[in-house]
Amino acid sequence: MARFQGASAFAPASDLQLLPLRFERVSEDRYVVSNLVGDALILTRQELDRIVALELAPGDGLYERAFEKMLISVKGQQSQLQLLAMRLRSRMAFLQEPTPLHLFVVTLRCEHSCPYCQVSRRSIDRERFDMSTETALRAVNVALSTPSQTIKIEFQGGEPLLNFSLIKEIVQAARRKAPPGKYIEFVIATNLALLDDEIISFCREEAISISTSLDGPADLHNKNRPRPGGNSYQLTVDGIRRIQDALGPGRVSALMTTTQASLDRVEEIIDEYVSLDLEGIFLRPLSPYGFAIKTKQFDKYGRQEWLKFYERGLQYILDINRRGRHFPEFYATLLLKRMLSDLPTGYVDLRSPAGIGLGALVYNYDGKVYASDEGRMLAEMGDETFQLGDLATDGYGDLILSAKLVDLVGGSLSQCSPECSSCAFEPYCGSDPVYHHATQGDPVGIKPLSEFCARQKFVLGLLFRLLEDSPQDAAILRRWAGR
Amino acid sequence: MPEIVVQFEASSQPVEALREAAYRLISDASCLIDTIDGRHICRLIPKDRTGRNPDEIRSRFLDLVTDQNLREKVSAETAGVRNVIIALAFGALAREREASQTG
Repeated sequence: MARFQGASAFAPASDLQLLPLRFERVSEDRYVVSNLVGDALILTRQELDRIVALELAPGDGLYERAFEKMLISVKGQQSQLQLLAMRLRSRMAFLQEPTPLHLFVVTLRCEHSCPYCQVSRRSIDRERFDMSTETALRAVNVALSTPSQTIKIEFQGGEPLLNFSLIKEIVQAARRKAPPGKYIEFVIATNLALLDDEIISFCREEAISISTSLDGPADLHNKNRPRPGGNSYQLTVDGIRRIQDALGPGRVSALMTTTQASLDRVEEIIDEYVSLDLEGIFLRPLSPYGFAIKTKQFDKYGRQEWLKFYERGLQYILDINRRGRHFPEFYATLLLKRMLSDLPTGYVDLRSPAGIGLGALVYNYDGKVYASDEGRMLAEMGDETFQLGDLATDGYGDLILSAKLVDLVGGSLSQCSPECSSCAFEPYCGSDPVYHHATQGDPVGIKPLSEFCARQKFVLGLLFRLLEDSPQDAAILRRWAGR
Repeated sequence: MPEIVVQFEASSQPVEALREAAYRLISDASCLIDTIDGRHICRLIPKDRTGRNPDEIRSRFLDLVTDQNLREKVSAETAGVRNVIIALAFGALAREREASQTG
């Protein structure tokens, strides 16, 4: 009579082997364990030890979990290694499309006087702080010589609409000079105070998107963002609605900055974004640059206060989503895409090697070129560490192959940095050398003292817990990541 | 806060793991490591701002050493296969680029 064979007959023919993995203790007996491409499990210490010792057998549950997450393989089996290699290549594919982002600082002048201004805006002297046409056209030539087929040109300030005539010249020159097959997106980062019909019409004709700043309800926004007349909030909200009506709801987005006055009001800030039909919110801490340092705004709250603010905000946003409104938190979304997919990230702060130069170039009003927006913010504070060259003398090749950038990029590999190299969160993280240079005087930085590292570990740990422990939240988070 | 001394047998505890653990402890304590008479002697000097007491710092350091020992073991055992995966990933990339340049 035919009989089934015992389970041992179906055991793998050859021995198991351990695949590269990293782990991080997230609580007393809980470890996040990730493989080379960021597939992760939350395990107890005993489970982790069993995997490392290969004390696993088909059917014991842990064997299947470890196999599924590619923490183990069967010796001699090439397919898993090839799959890991292919996925690793996909995650790093941003290296094949260098410098897709080009920031044009068309003026440093601004009619706002925000005490946290990270770019150290100026209020006067058009001659001195506006970009000239000659400089702008040189910057267009550099931007168009990057190998990326799709590039984004973003107009920054100060308040870029104070030099709108130059924006028009740049857009038209870039369209005219772009080689066949090169696709250009344009974004204006503006406070919207100077928005008028001519600007809206131009944005419609040239398919230009708008990014603005909205810090929350009127009293909070106006306190954070003073201007003559004290009407920044009204102008911003009116501008958002006009753009939504004229260009479509997806063509305007907003960014908030957290000040001490924001800390107790995260729900109100989020409600403001929801009521304006904005597509989501990016909960952002202050950065250590410009007037945020000079006016001591940066020191007015600590890491723990911001993390509490973020966690409370994320829970509130999840609640909005549970009630049926698709409304993502954008920083979580960026991280979730790194955690749940192998798509290369376009976000320069979550890359290794860092996105300085390779991810973005910044053309300052005076012709100097910087490796990142934060690099030019530091320059306004007298620190030229991240200046790569000058448009008067340098082309794209000179800037990207400069010894300075090569050194900075080479030193930015989190895969080789102390602590990062063994951190389970490394596949989702980046190195942010400008932040570490600004806060610790060293582009690599001492990670146990790094606010960036603490923030990353906290937010990633929070997202892992939600994905693991809360199926309803996990479904929402997966939707944000497009999974 | 007084100095905390933690000792290990040098024959059974690689010093590299102690160095890594000391690095990860930087926000709580500075660490000096000496090897004397076959023992690694780790002197932990707590930072003023840390909210942890000496027992907590000692315990955290031992946890970090334990974790780091496991990391070293994983790293040693997977070095070969990691190199294979990276070669497969980026060797192919180099070949693609070569082919696109010659073809």
